Amino acid sequence: MFRKLLASQQAGLVAIILLLGAVLTAFAGSHVDRLTGLPVNNFLNSHTLIQVGTDASFFAIMAVGATIVIISGGIDLSVGSIYALAGVAMAMVLRSAAPGSGLATFVVGLAVAVGVGLVCGALNGLMVVGLRVHPFIITLGTMWILRGIAFVSSSAESILVPRALTDVAKASLGLPSSLYPVPILTMVAVTAVGAVYLTRTVMGRHVFAIGGNAEASRFSGLRLTRIQTGVFVISGLTAGVAAFLGASFYGSASCVDATGYELYVIASAVVGGASLSGGKGSAVNAALGALLIVLIRQSIRTLHFDQNYEWIIIGCATIVAVVLDQASARLAARRLAAAAGKA
Amino acid sequence: MFSSKRFALAAVGLAAVISACGGGNTPSQTAQQPAAAPAAGAAAAKGPMKIAVIAKSSTNPVFLSARTGAEAAAKEITQKTGVPVEIVWMTPPGEDGQVQAQRIAQAVNEGASAVLISCSDAGKVTGAINDAVARGVPVMTFDSDAPDSKRFAFYGVDDIKTGKAVMDELAKQMGEKGSIAILAGNQNAPNLRKRVEGVKDAAKNYPNMKIVDTFYHIETPQDAAAEVVRAQNAYPQIQGWAMIGGWPLFTPTLLTDLDASKVKIVSVDALPPELAYVDKGLAPVLLAQPVYQWGYVSVHTIFDKVHDGKTVPEIMPMELVRVSKENLGSWARQLKDWGFTDVNPEYLKRP
Repeated sequence: MFRKLLASQQAGLVAIILLLGAVLTAFAGSHVDRLTGLPVNNFLNSHTLIQVGTDASFFAIMAVGATIVIISGGIDLSVGSIYALAGVAMAMVLRSAAPGSGLATFVVGLAVAVGVGLVCGALNGLMVVGLRVHPFIITLGTMWILRGIAFVSSSAESILVPRALTDVAKASLGLPSSLYPVPILTMVAVTAVGAVYLTRTVMGRHVFAIGGNAEASRFSGLRLTRIQTGVFVISGLTAGVAAFLGASFYGSASCVDATGYELYVIASAVVGGASLSGGKGSAVNAALGALLIVLIRQSIRTLHFDQNYEWIIIGCATIVAVVLDQASARLAARRLAAAAGKA
Repeated sequence: MFSSKRFALAAVGLAAVISACGGGNTPSQTAQQPAAAPAAGAAAAKGPMKIAVIAKSSTNPVFLSARTGAEAAAKEITQKTGVPVEIVWMTPPGEDGQVQAQRIAQAVNEGASAVLISCSDAGKVTGAINDAVARGVPVMTFDSDAPDSKRFAFYGVDDIKTGKAVMDELAKQMGEKGSIAILAGNQNAPNLRKRVEGVKDAAKNYPNMKIVDTFYHIETPQDAAAEVVRAQNAYPQIQGWAMIGGWPLFTPTLLTDLDASKVKIVSVDALPPELAYVDKGLAPVLLAQPVYQWGYVSVHTIFDKVHDGKTVPEIMPMELVRVSKENLGSWARQLKDWGFTDVNPEYLKRP
């Protein structure tokens, strides 16, 4: 059991994250805390660790949904635009409705953001299934359409969200001030739900089945259209949750929010081992992939490397991960073939 | 699936890639640290200063000039006072208010003495600025403000006045008549919206001038130039452009695509690539923001406030410089003195 755990992909990702963390701790240097006067390591301190987790949480939440789409053999390029539209819609509704109490603001805000995410996801799914067009094309189109709707409806204005939402997203939950664990806790919760859905439910198994072999799944009696629509709904849902959290945490929403995040989200899933040809992936790994990518970004700054290399490094990391994944799959296939030959 | 060994290999690979990109753009932080913590708060402010500079985008040349100004000021202060001042450039590659907020937090976590920022989205960074101030790190804004935050000062042009100045100059160049268009950059930036407002306000004073439309675009030279050409083709009656930023003039495209005898441009900014437009007469007047001063003046202000405890004004207005053929040479030399290496040598010889 322990050996199996050690050999798992999660263990590998965790090992890399810890290794990178150790390197950063060793080389980050230190500074004198302005308030306490004590020396503080520039990486290994509660503020930086929570900041890294917070930065990763928005990608990770979306990556869980996007991974489920990828496992099913699809792809969702519209998550960044869904995030922007859900955030803008939430901010606009709250600005015009101005619910009185903090609780009402929270409920209305969450309902609007998640609702918009669900509707956008459902539209993606229904178009993929109904028009029989590859998800890449459909979500490429909706990526522009949804961001365009956010742009037109908000007049490109950055809309402030009520303070009550920021208070929730930035609740310290008993930690010292300026430490905000809510995004990380939400990431953990969404990842856990995603993991349970994929590994412990029949619906989750169906997603793996159609991603592994759609035709075989159809002949097995699985309702492909329903499952395909469902995965896009989940992806929209997670984008809506991330939008609610992001707009609440940063205090405003605008149509340019999350521009380009779809690529980080897909990279997180892929670095986490999801196969773009479907049938393979994990919610936990996607979250770890997001954490790793954010940690790589962080390392560039913490170690004072030239920031202009950020995109190059993340691109290289993604390619390295996919190449290793494919090599690993080929080796496993050879081993199986060799074992079968001996038998 | 990957095995642990393969991931270890991947880690080594990643580390190699990261190492290959080394050659830090700032001095080693470890070397800059004081040997011991003398005392909290005030003592930290009296020691070496590390100022995190977070501009809107590291691909925009105006911010690179601001960086040069900031570094020059830091060097000057260090030489003059003996207090080491270090500039840490933390500008994101592209405009993203959320990333700016993250970088403010990171700067504070890594012990910055102060933060200097040009806000891509005031709403997004206000919370992070307030958090930084709450943790004892003063914040100053330049170029684009976050007026509702707890920043202690803002240095930049008055955007409404800038828009008005652009319109007034254009009216002068066009004899106060004709159809014009506004080139407005990113619709999301509050400072640019104010400039557009200023142009429209001033246009009311010229009854024989008509604004055809306001054109927004991605703030890259190519996108901006393409937008101008598209608009000009769609509205051939456009005789003048009020550009509240000089984005398309960073490419030479419009020198050939627009006819100087039919169209006049007045634009904010006058960096080296834009001077050709003045020389050819297509942009008879450019209203330059002395962008080098964003960094230079701001770093001096931060030092005065944080290190010396001086009182500084909350709003520090920056004056525009009118650049035309008459002062093209002196402006070109000024740019060269500020560290621009791409100034046309021919302009340097002019009066």
